[in-house]
Amino acid sequence: MATTTLDRAAPAGTGTGTAVNGTGNLLRFMLRRDRIRLPAWTLGLPLLMTYFAAALDTIAQTPEDLAGLTVFTSSPAGALFGGPGFGFDDLTIERFLAGQYGLYILLGAGLMGLLTVVRHTRTEERTGRAELVRANVVGRHAQLTAALTLTTVMAALVALLIGAMMTSRGFDAGGSMVFGASVGAVALTFAGIAAVTVQLSEYPRAASGMAGAALGAAFVLRGLGDMAAVQGNGPSWLSWLSPIGWSQQTAAYVHDRWWPLAVSLAFAAATAATGYLLSARRDFGAGLVPPRPGSPRAASWLAGPFAFAFRLHRASLIGWSAALLVAGVAYGSFTQPLLDGFENAPEDLVEVMGGGSGDLLAGYLGMMGLTMALVVGVYAVIAVQSLRAEETEGRAEPVLATSVSRTGWLGSHIAVVALGVPWLLLVAGVGMGIGAAASTGDPGLLGDLLVGHLAHTPAVWLVLSAAALLYAAAPRTLPVIWVLLGYGLIAGYFAPILELPEGVLRLSPFEHVGEYPLEEVSVVAVGVLTVLAGALAQAAVAVFRRRDLAGGA
Amino acid sequence: MTAAIDIQHLHKSFGRVRALDGLDLRVDAGTVHGFLGPNGAGKSTTIRILLGLLRADAGQVRLLGGDPWADAVALHRRLAYVPGDVELWPNLTGGEAIDLFARLRGGTDPVRRDELCQRFDLDPSKKGRTYSKGNRQKVALIAALASDVELLLLDEPTAGLDPLMEAVFQECIREVKDAGRTVLLSSHILAQVEVLADQISIIRQGRIVETGSLTELRHLTRTSVEAVTDRPADGLANLAGVHGLRTDGDQVRFEVDGDQLAVVVRELGDLGVQGLTVRPPTLEQLLLRHYGDRLVRNGTAEVA
Repeated sequence: MATTTLDRAAPAGTGTGTAVNGTGNLLRFMLRRDRIRLPAWTLGLPLLMTYFAAALDTIAQTPEDLAGLTVFTSSPAGALFGGPGFGFDDLTIERFLAGQYGLYILLGAGLMGLLTVVRHTRTEERTGRAELVRANVVGRHAQLTAALTLTTVMAALVALLIGAMMTSRGFDAGGSMVFGASVGAVALTFAGIAAVTVQLSEYPRAASGMAGAALGAAFVLRGLGDMAAVQGNGPSWLSWLSPIGWSQQTAAYVHDRWWPLAVSLAFAAATAATGYLLSARRDFGAGLVPPRPGSPRAASWLAGPFAFAFRLHRASLIGWSAALLVAGVAYGSFTQPLLDGFENAPEDLVEVMGGGSGDLLAGYLGMMGLTMALVVGVYAVIAVQSLRAEETEGRAEPVLATSVSRTGWLGSHIAVVALGVPWLLLVAGVGMGIGAAASTGDPGLLGDLLVGHLAHTPAVWLVLSAAALLYAAAPRTLPVIWVLLGYGLIAGYFAPILELPEGVLRLSPFEHVGEYPLEEVSVVAVGVLTVLAGALAQAAVAVFRRRDLAGGA
Repeated sequence: MTAAIDIQHLHKSFGRVRALDGLDLRVDAGTVHGFLGPNGAGKSTTIRILLGLLRADAGQVRLLGGDPWADAVALHRRLAYVPGDVELWPNLTGGEAIDLFARLRGGTDPVRRDELCQRFDLDPSKKGRTYSKGNRQKVALIAALASDVELLLLDEPTAGLDPLMEAVFQECIREVKDAGRTVLLSSHILAQVEVLADQISIIRQGRIVETGSLTELRHLTRTSVEAVTDRPADGLANLAGVHGLRTDGDQVRFEVDGDQLAVVVRELGDLGVQGLTVRPPTLEQLLLRHYGDRLVRNGTAEVA
């Protein structure tokens, strides 16, 4: 599929045949380097789909169960988190799988596409390894060509495996192939987008960040469009601006349309061609956006370990603040459409949404508070992971060789992140509040949302200090902290479906404070969680004094 | 003379790997001490123990009169450190990093900082991620040299510097020494240590195998002699302390033990010496003496 892309694109650069010299060898080399990653992606996505299919089988054993699910999924909120819901009026298991869960496979495929391209192009250039490669008989476009070919192979594998897996479960073969291909198409479009973003910045993180932002925008655009489509009015054409939207418009198992994927392929071809064109206009190792010189002197406030820790976390805090504000406004503005969608919903469904008291609005707002708390939890864990990188990459060593004590170093970082947690919850709450108030015309919601978001602060603190303790005691065990967050997610979202006993549920730090405004904020829980988090942070700092520091070199 | 660094019987293992195996090291205050050894001999481990970044398994370590693990913070105010492989923060400029190190250590001389930036030809307004290895090294060097401290711990500080900058570095170290400060200079650039160090310790497999001034160590090795003589000089081979004698017409080359040099020179005079080149042993030769046995046993001619 994308081979045509490449053939078409190559003349756009400076050379023709010789510019892609060595592509075959590079491709083999990439396959060798990705011998774990490639199977992980190409098997992981079909396996995730298999898991969804198996899970749905157990949840919806009778047609009535299935019908019960549709009430939510064909609502605006369902459209936002799922898709346009083709054929949901005559629901089957496979239509629900493709129309509701399919979105998350599409997102995964998009990530696969963009990360693979960035990894094999800009990252290689940044580390200087590409320089060694390019000094051999390797054409100017060989690296990008090989990376795009590799991604195409991965996309094709994912498409075929998902198609085969769905067929083997007894679903219509034609629909299964359409669905599989729609997943592969998203990988190709975001590979194309990444082919452009890697030309723009010198830094792989910026390149994948830009492509990731495009993925997020694609998600939001089709969410707004699909909501409008489900409601029957509004800008449903927005879905057609999104690469994810094109894949969803194939309407697998309903219309089985192939032609929207032609749009995806054309887009992938065009973006890849743009990537080639831009790459010919820049120097090796450079980005199209040149780096700016910075200040030759440190600002006067940049003194002491706390100020320094803040300086290191500042960029990420700004990024997270912006993302959470946008996400908050976006999700907040869905409040009124959501209420409209549920106006005629049966009682039992309202209960599923957490509106057991009949107060659906409070249920939705409380749920969003929990969602944002989990997202801020991800921020806290990533921030602690960056500490580990400071140590292993040798940047902590010269700092600790000054008169900064270990306690001061770790304590400052924990303190900065701990202050970042309520700040980010506040930002998310303000965004949600503005969106919800504008959408419903009730400015009072802003206050409710602020309380509902900020109340989760101690729970996120507990995640933060547990992560810090793991890092301080044995850095290798740090990834274990994701289990806690993952459990928080499962307990928060799926507890009613999974019928978890209360005691098990309360193992999650997020299940104690209460989802305000649906539930009252438990002052006792806030106090206990805060004290517990403080104790763990103390322990982290104490333990950190006792171990050897990992070397940089 | 007081000792700035006094290490006795220091042991440190990483799992089953024994990095330091009874290391003894004494660095007198106000001296430049060369710390020589091949990669993996334990130089960086020793320095990182001195910084309190690693904890010693056994042995006595005193640094500026304190315990480097327990009194780390207080001691760090009085020393500056330059690692061999400097990593900087990608989004901080070099100038910001220099100021930051200085402030975290407790003050610096801004005039001296700017002067050093000029001498080392560093553009402090570039972001950390855009610096080459040599420039990152300069950032750490300037931060250390600009600070008013008693002790400099330099772990292969000039790896990646060009010869011009190497000369600037040597000049700076001489100034540091004139100011009465102490320097521990770990290196495998032998010429640098030869020029700068008052005392030298050679480390091998986690132990100090040789320590002393360059003059003292020279006694331990052989001087190379090339001479042109009127009369055949084959007879020199029979003198004590003469090794590897080869003649080529009226030319003779051999090596002689340091303490036998006087006897051999007298003999050369009697043979009617026309030309004479006597080379003191280089540090390469000193090192080869300690690592050479291993190289010979392995049958390889590689010299680190």
